[in-house]
Amino acid sequence: MKHKKYLGALLGVIMLLLLVACGGGGNSSSSSSSTSDSTSTNASSDNAGKRTVVVGGLFDITGGTGDVGTPYAEGEKAYFEYLEMKGGVEGLNLKLVGKDYAYQIPEAQKIYQELRDKEKAVAILGWGTGDTEALRQQVAADQLPFISASYSENLKNMDESPYNFLVAASYSDQGRAILKWIKENHEGDGTPTLALLYNDTAFGRSPVEDIKAFAKEIGVEVVDEQVIDVQATEAQSQLLNMEKKNPDYAIINQTWAATATILRDAKTLGIDTQFIGLNWASGEGVIDIVGADVAEGYIGILSHAFPYEDMPGMAEIKEYLDAKGKTIDDIDQKFVQGWTAAKIMVEAIKNAAEKYPDGDLTGVQIREGLESIQNLDLGGLAANITFASDNHAGTEKTRLGIVKDGRWEPITDYFSHRD
Amino acid sequence: MRNLFVRECGNYKTTYKNDMKLFGTTGDKVKWLILLLLLFTVPFYVSNYWVGLLTLCAISAIGAIGLNILTGFTGQISIGVGAFLGVGGYTTAILTTTYGLSFWISLPLAGIVTALVGGLFGIPSLRLKGLYLAIATLAAQVIITFVISRWDSVTGGTAGMVLSRPSLGNYSFVSNTSYYYLTLIILLLTVLYATNLLRTRVGRAFLAVRDRDIAAQIMGINLFYYKVLAFIISSFFVGIAGALLAHYTMIVSPELYNIHVSIQYLAMILIGGLGSIFGSILGAAFITLLPVGLNSIVDFLTVYMPDFYQLFSAFKEFVFGLAIILFLIFEPGGLAHIWQNIKNYFKLWPFSY
Repeated sequence: MKHKKYLGALLGVIMLLLLVACGGGGNSSSSSSSTSDSTSTNASSDNAGKRTVVVGGLFDITGGTGDVGTPYAEGEKAYFEYLEMKGGVEGLNLKLVGKDYAYQIPEAQKIYQELRDKEKAVAILGWGTGDTEALRQQVAADQLPFISASYSENLKNMDESPYNFLVAASYSDQGRAILKWIKENHEGDGTPTLALLYNDTAFGRSPVEDIKAFAKEIGVEVVDEQVIDVQATEAQSQLLNMEKKNPDYAIINQTWAATATILRDAKTLGIDTQFIGLNWASGEGVIDIVGADVAEGYIGILSHAFPYEDMPGMAEIKEYLDAKGKTIDDIDQKFVQGWTAAKIMVEAIKNAAEKYPDGDLTGVQIREGLESIQNLDLGGLAANITFASDNHAGTEKTRLGIVKDGRWEPITDYFSHRD
Repeated sequence: MRNLFVRECGNYKTTYKNDMKLFGTTGDKVKWLILLLLLFTVPFYVSNYWVGLLTLCAISAIGAIGLNILTGFTGQISIGVGAFLGVGGYTTAILTTTYGLSFWISLPLAGIVTALVGGLFGIPSLRLKGLYLAIATLAAQVIITFVISRWDSVTGGTAGMVLSRPSLGNYSFVSNTSYYYLTLIILLLTVLYATNLLRTRVGRAFLAVRDRDIAAQIMGINLFYYKVLAFIISSFFVGIAGALLAHYTMIVSPELYNIHVSIQYLAMILIGGLGSIFGSILGAAFITLLPVGLNSIVDFLTVYMPDFYQLFSAFKEFVFGLAIILFLIFEPGGLAHIWQNIKNYFKLWPFSY
């Protein structure tokens, strides 16, 4: 009896908490700028006779990389909504069914099974490096093309990951592009010296060996390497070690939080090394965290366009935002990145649908659709994409930008280290 | 023949042999037969998706039983399960992919290698107890994952290694259903072994060590031997589970075996019931399926309140923690104890006294 009383009280408290949390959440979500619509773009009623194509999505909304994962997922959803707004794709009923996997690989495994068996998805839009690599054998066995936000060089290996596609320059190619830029723009005599700052994860270590090899090839000296945890709140000891070697440049492969830590501590220690970040180490977030004056002069890879850049590809996004009563201030670069990933996938589905006008589309056919993409113009939102049956790395091109007065400004156009 | 529905009520056993019987009554045998029949026919009436989830449950259950032998029966806490899973997974990956051995040889070898590594990390258990042992096993977790991610020439570093599904002659276990049968059979063997282990001298020695190790030593139990043995047996099953998981996902990488996995396995045996084999299975199923259930609730609610998807997603974590706290407060015996209570209630139903 006593137990029951306690249980009742506890339930009451939980209900209260739920109410409070829901109320609070309602407020915050109305004041926040994000679109969080239903995960699945609902099929409209006039879909009779159309072929249904379900694209599965693995989102990180609540996990470790939720800060960049949420706008990315919104961008993907937004493109599918935009398509529906414009009347969809001829003869197809396109659906995006996405779930939050909280950056946990076992969760990603379960949600992937659900997308494959329950939702009957024929293509997947994924997210992190760890889960993309953990799933690459399964998507190959199940023959589902997979586009993720991870640009790890490992995914270029066609024997091990025949169904993975890279929609931007791989981390290694980004590093090579930076090296080429250093070589061409270095002022002063002697060989430029370089340090590498990364974290001890599959993501962080992915480009390290390739960068070292290419540096040797073109004559940049790698003088130091420092491991800085992805959640580090302090990096002074590593930076002091680095300072002993006094490198001219340091390449950062981290996410926003650790990058901000590095920039802040470098400022505190008065280190004059030029820091250059790969694509996840650049973006609005870094400036927001450390403030405009600390970030001033920081260089980063800008794999995708910022909403405030005047690019032809932005017209579609603006049209979508207008229809939803929003402005470009409500979105960021990661939204653009998600948008382009979804756009490339839809382009492949269109190609596949043209080639195979009958029957339900399969993963193999969409893979062919992806492989037939030639120099797809993304209107400056990202580098143009070309796939082939022996090449799933869409591009080697990327560009660099610098922080000026609290805003990212591109300093190069899209270029490749081979140019 | 006696009436099947008459349940055992009261203790009429007059010999030790009688007391130790696994299937004491005809009812018991029939019950187990029905359960087995149900388990083996499940793929015929559920979807492919559920077969996949049940496979994951079965794999976790093997690992959870292994951990329960160590933590539940012998009272030695271990936070290194995630890493031991990794040892099993990597052993089979290296043996099958690099050296081309068959899965059927590499599976037991994965168990044996993990058992050896587990035994090695179990050595400090003679001097360390409780929290101190927990930290020592945490060191195992850190050291093993560090070695895995750094030993590039053998383990492929952070990129991981690729495996294939096992095959028998010309038949390959590629489909969900075939892999389900494989894991189910191994789970049943594990259950059989673990149940029988408890009926032996070794099993009783484990329980004695758990209840009071000094008293056990006075009774003539070699503490060092039995504690390390518990680590070895436990790690063997964890290693088998790791190998099965590796061949199921067809990939191993260091990020699959982090501390989070260790904590999940501890949660399984806590919620399932410490020292109960049936509880380990229930706990494994509960922890594996809880996020799935919460996900479908979130999906259901999102249909009515589409703007709250992010909020509901965040709530999943909250509910997960709440479930564990509620179990610790209201039913420390775990799911196994709840099941026992239900059974006892119906034994006397409708005339309880």
